[in-house]
Amino acid sequence: MNSPTAAIALESVSKRFGAKTIIHGLTFSVGKGEIVGFLGPNGAGKTTTMRMIAGFTTASSGQVTVAGYNMATRNQEAARKIGYLPEHPPLYDMLDVSQYLRFVSRVKGVPRSEIKSELDRVASACKLETVMRREIYKLSKGYRQRVGLAQALLGKPEVLLLDEPTAGLDPGQIHETREVIRSFGERHAVLLSTHILPEVTLICRRVAIINNGRLLAIDSPAGLQRASEQTNRVLLTATAPADALRAELLSLTGVTEVTMHNVPGIQDMVNVDCQTDAREGIEAAIARAVASRWDLHRLERQQPTLENIFLRYVAQAPAEGRSPA
Amino acid sequence: MNRVIAVYQKELLAYFRSPIAYFVVAVFLVGTGYFFAYNMFLSGSASMDETFRNMGILILTLLPLVSMRLFSGEYSGRTMELLVTLPLKTWEIVLGKYLGALTILLLMTAGTFIDLVPLYLFGNPRTTTIAAGYIGFVLLGMACIAVGQFFSSLTQNQIVAALITVPVLLSFWFIGHLQDFQASYALRSLFGYLSFAQHFADFVQGLIRSEGVLFYLIVSAIALTLNTSYLQWRR
Repeated sequence: MNSPTAAIALESVSKRFGAKTIIHGLTFSVGKGEIVGFLGPNGAGKTTTMRMIAGFTTASSGQVTVAGYNMATRNQEAARKIGYLPEHPPLYDMLDVSQYLRFVSRVKGVPRSEIKSELDRVASACKLETVMRREIYKLSKGYRQRVGLAQALLGKPEVLLLDEPTAGLDPGQIHETREVIRSFGERHAVLLSTHILPEVTLICRRVAIINNGRLLAIDSPAGLQRASEQTNRVLLTATAPADALRAELLSLTGVTEVTMHNVPGIQDMVNVDCQTDAREGIEAAIARAVASRWDLHRLERQQPTLENIFLRYVAQAPAEGRSPA
Repeated sequence: MNRVIAVYQKELLAYFRSPIAYFVVAVFLVGTGYFFAYNMFLSGSASMDETFRNMGILILTLLPLVSMRLFSGEYSGRTMELLVTLPLKTWEIVLGKYLGALTILLLMTAGTFIDLVPLYLFGNPRTTTIAAGYIGFVLLGMACIAVGQFFSSLTQNQIVAALITVPVLLSFWFIGHLQDFQASYALRSLFGYLSFAQHFADFVQGLIRSEGVLFYLIVSAIALTLNTSYLQWRR
């Protein structure tokens, strides 16, 4: 399942704290030039998984490989290839921004002669130029988050692990941060955990959904939408005899189920909920069929949002992990 | 070594950007100055002996304030996650931090050199004895920092780290007193050997004994090794 060139690869990874198993046999990979979104409710195991990949904690069983290095045995080599922004930005409040970034650059092995240009690069990417000389404890939450991101970008790591990178940012900053991640993800591997679902749809090529330490699904946002059982619904309101309308709708190819409710107080007016398959243009076919014989007042096609899919996967809370699609 | 220096410099910056280092150095110098003046003018002895003994006790209670933040501060500030995931070996973190705190100790020590001016002006002290006393003082301080640094890695509360370190160091200082209550020769020797105060007393008298030097270095090494092993185990 994991390609040999994957920048991040997890193979049956489990994590136990004492008798309690937090992560159950996770297997997935992130390739170079790919941004993968990591979705899950609080306590699902996202942060623990991030920490195992970053080398903050070790897996109890299974294998975590980053940039080709096994994290159990060669985490030092791997650490040079990783940029990691934990859930709480790890900042030294008493230092100023430039001292802090300089410290991280030196530890990451950025050559002395390149430190200044490296600091300029990340400061410009994260819009920190005006606060470089300010002590970190004086910064707003948004700036602190961006200093944390800047730290992760130092040394041009091959793998970027971001645990909720846009938490605490205002909409403008979220947009800028997203652009930074997107441009970084073109050349590197990015694993991004977030609660903000539109963020995933906008920048992630694939999405991994986990709950209770199990991988429930991993696919592209579009793939997840296609795979969803409640994929497509067409809702319409028409004035028509219910039985004839139902028969007409069910005769159309692609309509699988029809539910009707009378509109209270109006003769013959019905709200119809058609379950359809995912084919293109089904709503147009329905509109033509209905409008040619009766009055059609309203018609809309509902596609599942990632939010619905996410909630459905998480609500199922399966005892065993499953990986549709 | 570059990474150890980076950690070391970060520690120094952190010390001097918080009030703690200034506070500890100031209290130590005021205390030492008082003891020095008291011993010099009231006892009339132009030597550092008594002052060194007082400095020993003082450093035992003040160094835990220097060492308490070394790891507790990283835990509570949630920066340990950064240190551990950066390309740093555990011993590099431990050593960089230790050297940072050691620099504060050396600054405190250097600050007391001012006492030597009147000593040499008005008395006729033996330089070798004073030098031995200072060597003993720094070695004692090194052991205290290492022990404090280890306890700092056990808790995320800096105050708790200091509150554990002070009684442990005081126990090592006073453990020699237990000798008087022991009938067994082995126990008497053991308590004598473990006593911070007894080894220090040799230095103050001008004796640089390899046993004393080794003792403080071994205590430091054990504490730093425990420190490193504990941090590795935590992962």
